[in-house]
Amino acid sequence: MSISTIALTVYVLMWPVIVAVVLFIIGRAFIKDWLEARREGRDII
Amino acid sequence: MNVPEEVQFGVLTVVVILVLFYGITFLISTRIGKKEENADGYMTAGNNIGFGISAASMTATWIWASSMYASATSGYTYGISGPIHYGLWGALMILFIYPFGRRIRTVAPKAHTLAEVMYARHGRSSQVMLAGSNVVGSVISLMSNFIAGGALISLLSPFSFFQGVIAVAGGVLLYTLWSGFRASVLTDFVQVVAMLGAVVIIVPVIFFAADFPAAFETGAANLTPQQGNFFSSDAFLNQGAPYIAAVLAYAIGNQTIAQRLFAVREDLIKKTFVTATFGYGAMVIGVGMLGVLALYLGIEPAGGDVNNLVPQMAATYLTPALLVLFFVMIIGALSSTADSDLAALSSIVMTDGYGQTVGKENANPKTMLLIGRITMIVATAAAVAFASLQLSILDLLVFVGALWGALVFPVIASFYWDRVTNKAFTISVVAALAVFLPVRFSLVPLDGALGIVVDVLAVIGVGVVIGLMAFGFFGARVGRIAGAVAALASAPFAIGTLHEYTTLTASLVAYSVSTIVCTAISMRNRERFDFALIKQRVGDFDETPDDEPVAAGTASTT
Repeated sequence: MSISTIALTVYVLMWPVIVAVVLFIIGRAFIKDWLEARREGRDII
Repeated sequence: MNVPEEVQFGVLTVVVILVLFYGITFLISTRIGKKEENADGYMTAGNNIGFGISAASMTATWIWASSMYASATSGYTYGISGPIHYGLWGALMILFIYPFGRRIRTVAPKAHTLAEVMYARHGRSSQVMLAGSNVVGSVISLMSNFIAGGALISLLSPFSFFQGVIAVAGGVLLYTLWSGFRASVLTDFVQVVAMLGAVVIIVPVIFFAADFPAAFETGAANLTPQQGNFFSSDAFLNQGAPYIAAVLAYAIGNQTIAQRLFAVREDLIKKTFVTATFGYGAMVIGVGMLGVLALYLGIEPAGGDVNNLVPQMAATYLTPALLVLFFVMIIGALSSTADSDLAALSSIVMTDGYGQTVGKENANPKTMLLIGRITMIVATAAAVAFASLQLSILDLLVFVGALWGALVFPVIASFYWDRVTNKAFTISVVAALAVFLPVRFSLVPLDGALGIVVDVLAVIGVGVVIGLMAFGFFGARVGRIAGAVAALASAPFAIGTLHEYTTLTASLVAYSVSTIVCTAISMRNRERFDFALIKQRVGDFDETPDDEPVAAGTASTT
């Protein structure tokens, strides 16, 4: 496999990886918000 | 190349998916529903949303079905750099607005719409211009999302386009009507999880199912030299550059962004906007890569319509189970933006149409809520009617985009510069539009001296765009230097040729003319505006126990 093919493969597949990281960050923050709201006895929003 | 046959859903499958999707979304919205909703909560959720929900909501709102289709179209048309020239600049729209957002929240912490703040700062004409452009933009967005839903459902199932439009419109209205913005942002979280999760799975699956990475070598001949070049000038000048020019315009002109800006807890603005920048950028560029893959595979879009590329790739290479996931991703994307548009439209009519007209002290929150809900129903009906006519929205979008471009400098300057007046604001926007229209639609020949004049204005526009971006992050001194350097650096390449790219030139001219006129008129003003007045004039409509009497909410010009 040539270097340009490897580079193109990385270029295409790096975006789903970044999306997965963002999804993790947002999901973790949501759970934190939700637990905090529950502890304080209010709606999350 | 050996391309498998496309998969289609049956009637029952589509009905079950839609009922489950909108049913679950509706049930989620009932979790926060109140018998007696509060007007301020209906518009901004109490200005106190946490990071998780606000970041999810910003990401979900900014991603609409059209952005995914357009990114893939850009990849298919301009090659490997195409999705970057769509998604990156779209993402930067979110990033570059946050420094201004922090200033706006400082000046008007309890505002509901940007137009409302303009009313408090200047008066009626500035408010009407901004609110009017917001309303038109949101209706177009709503219609466009309904069209995308109808097209997707008709492409993947036996249902007609109109039946698809009705299903999507009814579903979105169902869960947004009662709790407004609160329902919109809460359901955005679920929708963004579905959307982002789908991209994480779908893009790699299509990649390997379509025989990549080997197809990069076997299909390389399908690309022109420009399409195969990451630094393609074609891609930059036709796709990227007009988007860079639009970065600030779309962010300023979009009430859905302003609404989230006023809703998120003030100390979380930066974190929220940065996360949404990455979320939007990676997702839209990722989906755009499907267009690049289609180009390598030599796939022709169904019916010659490039908007069919993404559904076509999904229907061709995904298993039925994953195709359901794809379907949910698109329905989630268009629903999350459509519900935000409904919430934005209702806020504008509630605040700018009713609240600020009768006066903050005289506005009845119950009447406001009724107006908000009626607005949602009317807006949905109007968008369905426009969508069913399948009108061309391009000209309208161009005009609204120009109006937003013309508004950028006057709006931003109004939050920082105490000399800007209502007269300066209004005349500068009208003047910018008057110059924009003949340039954009080639109503006058731009050969010879006139072309040079337009190029010089466009170069000043380059300086304004770059200067404002730098100003947001680094202050006035750096902004001025960056603007001057950008204008001087672009002048030798731009003067004499830039007017040939009418979309880009017209946008830049809108920026420069509004900036020049607004600055010139404001410089002559000797009076100074006290920004503290905005906080007094803009506030909650619902009474709270700790409400203190404030000065009368009548706006005055400076």
